Parts: sequence; structure tokens; C-alpha cells
Amino acid sequence: MLSFLTARRIGVDDPLRLRRAESTRRVLSLELNHDRDVDRIHGNGVNTLDIEVIEGRYMLSGGADGVIVIYDLENNNKKPQYTCKAVGTVGRSSRHVHKFSVETVQWYPHDTGMFISSSFDKTMKVWDTETLKPAEVFHFEGNVYCHHMSPVARKHTLIAVGTKDPKVQLCDLKSGSRIHVLQGHRGEVLSVRWSPRYEHILATASADSRVRLWDVRRASGSLFTLDQHNGDKSKAATEAVNTAHNGRVNGLCFTADGLFLLTAGTDDRIRLWNSASGENTLVNYGKVANSSRTCLRLAVSRGCSPEFVFVPCGSSVAVYSLHTGDLVTMLRGHYNNVDCCEFHPDYQELYSGGKDCNILAWVPVLRQPDVEDDGTAAGKGGQQAAVNPAYVDAWSSDED
Amino acid sequence: MNRKRTLISDAFKAKTRRFTENTFGKPPCGEADQDGPLDIKSSLEYLMTLFPRKVFNDSLPRIVMKHQLYSLHSAKTLVDRQLNLLREQGDLIIFQLGFDADAFGLVFTSDYKEKTLAGIAGTECQETVEKFMNKVVPSCTDLSFNKDRMLKEFHFTDSEITQLVKCGVLTVRDAGSWWLSVPNAGKFTKYFMQGRKAVLNMVKKAKYGEVLKNELEGRRTTSQVKFPIKYHIYDIMGAELVESIPTTSGTMLRYVDT
Repeated sequence: MLSFLTARRIGVDDPLRLRRAESTRRVLSLELNHDRDVDRIHGNGVNTLDIEVIEGRYMLSGGADGVIVIYDLENNNKKPQYTCKAVGTVGRSSRHVHKFSVETVQWYPHDTGMFISSSFDKTMKVWDTETLKPAEVFHFEGNVYCHHMSPVARKHTLIAVGTKDPKVQLCDLKSGSRIHVLQGHRGEVLSVRWSPRYEHILATASADSRVRLWDVRRASGSLFTLDQHNGDKSKAATEAVNTAHNGRVNGLCFTADGLFLLTAGTDDRIRLWNSASGENTLVNYGKVANSSRTCLRLAVSRGCSPEFVFVPCGSSVAVYSLHTGDLVTMLRGHYNNVDCCEFHPDYQELYSGGKDCNILAWVPVLRQPDVEDDGTAAGKGGQQAAVNPAYVDAWSSDED
Repeated sequence: MNRKRTLISDAFKAKTRRFTENTFGKPPCGEADQDGPLDIKSSLEYLMTLFPRKVFNDSLPRIVMKHQLYSLHSAKTLVDRQLNLLREQGDLIIFQLGFDADAFGLVFTSDYKEKTLAGIAGTECQETVEKFMNKVVPSCTDLSFNKDRMLKEFHFTDSEITQLVKCGVLTVRDAGSWWLSVPNAGKFTKYFMQGRKAVLNMVKKAKYGEVLKNELEGRRTTSQVKFPIKYHIYDIMGAELVESIPTTSGTMLRYVDT
């Protein structure tokens, strides 16, 4: 670390190099933290999480009971232990709450004044954060599995919606219209994702084992379909030709630079694709248990080298190295299935939510702070405050 | 700040572990990983020695599964790349085994040629098979063949293709396309699946569903299991049908309930 700092100061190294090395070191030491807690509001499983991109301060979570909660992640008190408080809730008592489980929530990419949620009650609602009332409601014919709004879009405000219908719908936020439809899939669309590099490129994953890439400006069909055998027709059985996975494809994630796309399927595999050419990079991650009936939410780290993939896998989160496919570690802590995970790029923290209604924060643990050795009263008092109240010995008596 | 006076300030001591490429994340749990560079060929040779020739009366070439290599080397992507390289060089033949989309069998080309030709010596398909061996196998490294390719590129007639299928060198995949195969591979698949099921049951029935690998290797197998038990152990480890957990007394295999 000191060598990195010196190299940066004298100009031998790029400033980015120190930041990348330190981010990677922090991600490698992710651990469940006793001091960081997230307020427990959900009464049923947590299905989806989203952290806003502007400040990285507020987090949205959507639950299986239709409840949506907003948390403040910033630690303003001077103590190390901190509970992320809920600053707003759309609870069961609200008139506008979703009737069934909320499948996806996403902040409006440009500010936190608005967020969008979609649910199994066949609606997608655009909410005003201040009043927590929906400003717009889109109705669909089938269950809505996922939606996504492009994080880099300047020329359009389209939301891509994947529903039980094989047609991918594009809803316009400015005008409220939903006439743009992308045809091509033959099964329900389980996951949609816009590219973080080009504002018109969209990837969709469907239960018919195919992943398609679209340019929304083009009138005629998809750009290409991802093929797991890279066109080598000899490797697959004839029905499985041109498919991305040997089962339903239910997870999609672009890397932060938009150059690679990760897909996860119910054949227990994750595959990494070159997003420009659609070529399978053939990185072998091994068997990644996946029995999710809906969208599986993967997360990719940002700003590290090598990058890491966080995959919810049963009741733990598996961390793989992106380009080599090695399993780095399994983060265990949840009591039940993990449904979603979200990476905070500024602090290299991971938040994961699952069926046990808990949202756990995984924080990098590097060095314990040095303890003062001279036992002044002030010093001891300071130490006491550093201990979590749950660990303070409150029952043994001094007489023994 | 530490008030104790030390010779060098703590800031200059490397207290934290350095994460180099080798100790990245989990320690390499593959057995053959202790030596430096990835040596696939020697691992392949080792696995081939485990293949029992007597069971098949020496009529089959030695077959090893691709995922058995994953249990020996932890970097799966590198293993895949090396295998593709060997295949392109013409030393190795990869073919589909049929019971699983991901299960690929590996055979050394020399072995394959020897056994197949020995198997069909004297029968009427001999010429066709020899022609296939000399023309197709060295030049084309695919797993399956299309009808047009067979007719145009390699100039095989329909009756010749029927003969090849009869001998077992090609297996029907679809109307007009065929998988490359090893003759008598059906017997191999049958015994292999039987043995795999029996060994998996041994792990499953153990207390807590877990067994130490060394202990499992020493167990006596029933007559159902025709292959040496080590062959099956590498197979179930590589196919991730059991979880390999490193413990202080060696690797432990725990049954994975899927």
C-alpha cells in the first residue's frame, strides 16, 4: 500500500492504479459486519434492491408482500455501529401499494425524485419519492417479471418491461405511451437490461433459452441471438442450436464498462459473452445452483481489477472472479434463500436480501483499529462505546 | 496510534496478507495443482491408467471424461483451453456421450484408431472405416457431422454412411446428422452410470451424507461397480455431484441434494 502511495506521489503510477488495487483488496475481504445493520421492515422476503447512482446514499427494496422501503445508507453518527434507517415506506396500509409481490424496483437514473416499481399484480408504477404516490401506472396483460431504464440515456426515456408475454414492451416515461414492442422471443421474458455503454442497446433473456440483443432504433427484429457454442453447430443437439443456455435464462448483467454481458440460466451455468460480437468467451464458472422461477439478480463489482461477480446461490452469495471463473468465496449469513444482491461501488460493500426478510450488509474488514494501551478513563470510555451493546456483559455479577 | 515504542513504526510492517495470483481466494483445491504450470497431458495419462481394460475385453479404447480433469485442476477455463489445443493438434478426440449435454468423453487418437480398426478387422465395413479414419479424423475435429459434409467434402456414399453407423463409429443425432462416437460405447455408458450411481449412494448413505475421500477410496465396492473406485470419485467430484470440502484430515465429499 505504501509503495502504491509513493508511486502515485512521484508520478510513476496512474492515480487509478492505487484506487483499483485498494478496491480489489477490499472486495476480497468482504465479511458480514456486526456493526452494520439494515432496518427490518419487510414481513416477507426481499425480492429486489437498488442503490441510487448519484450519491450512493439511498437504497430501495421491494418485497414479496408488495411493500417498498427506502433506506438511508449513510452513517452520520460518530459510532461504528449503525442501523440503516428506513426513511420512507409504501406499506400495506397505503392506498397505492402493489397487490402482489414487487419483482423489480429501480431509481430514476438521473435523480432520486422518482422511482419505478413493477409487480406481479400486472402493473408498473412510477412513484414520486416525496409524496410516495404513483404519478403513472402502466397496466399489462401478464405478470411483470422485470423492468429496466437505461442509466446513460439522454435522448430517450424508455423503460423496457419483460412480462409473461413473449413480446418485450417499451414504455415511454415522457409521453406515457407503450406502443413500441420488440418481437422475437418465444417464451416469457424473464430479464431485461440496457447496456451501460450505448443508450440504444438492450439485452433480453427469456424462458425459451435465448438471449437477444436489440437496437431499439431498428425496426426489424433483434441484432443477434447469443449462441453458447459460438456457431459450432456440431456441439449441440439440434434443438439446442443457437441457445444461450440449456434451460431458462433468468439472469442478465452487463459489466460496468458495457463490454461484457453475463447470463445465468437454470442449467446451473453462468456464461460470459462479448457484448459487441455475441461471442461466448467460454469462461467456465462450474456449477452455479440456480432454481429461481423468476429473475435472478447478479451484481458485478466496479473499479476493481480483476472484477468479481456476486451470484445469489441457495442461501449464500457466491463470489467468482469474472474472467477466470474461479470461485473466490461464499458469503454465508442468510437463513434462507438469497434473492438479490447489490454492490455499492464507492464503498465496496455488498447488500443482499432474501427470503428470511433480512437485508445483510457485507463490509470489507481490513485492519482492526489500534487499541490505546494507556488505560485512561477517557480511553476506556471510548473503547466501551466501540463495543456493540449486544455484546456488553450485563448479567454476570462482580462478586464471583 | 500505539504508544509502545518499537524499533520500526507499525506502518512499515507488512501485517496484511498479500493477495498474489496464486493464493487468490480459495487455495487451489485441485490435487495436481501443487506443481507449477498446468500439465493436462500428464493428468490425462494418469486418468487413463485408471480405466479398466479387462472389463470390456480390451475392445474399447481408454475413455476419460472431461469433467474428471476439473477435479484435478481448479482452473476450469485453463483446462478447457488446453483441451481445445490438444484437440486441434490432433492428439485427442472429444465426443459426446449422450447422457448429459455437458458430458464429453476424451480418447487419445492413437488409441482410438488402434482399437476401432482391431474391432472391425475382417468384417465388411473394414474398408469404409479405414477410409473414415484416414480422411476424416485427422482433418476434422468436430463432434458431429452433417449429411452434406459427408457427401461433398469427404465423398462418402449413403451406403458407406450406413456401414459406419452399423459399426458404431457414427451415432444418429438427427435426420441427416451424426455424432462422432466410439464403437461399443453403449456398454461403457451402461457400466459407467451403474457405477456412478452406486458410488453416489455410498456417499449419500454415510452418516450426515459425507465421507472422507481417503476412506471412500479404501472401501470395497459391490459387483455393480466395474470401474476402479478412484475413476468414479474423480467423476463425481468434477461433475459437482458432491461438494469437496478441505478438512484437516484431507478432502471430504458431501452429497449435494439437488
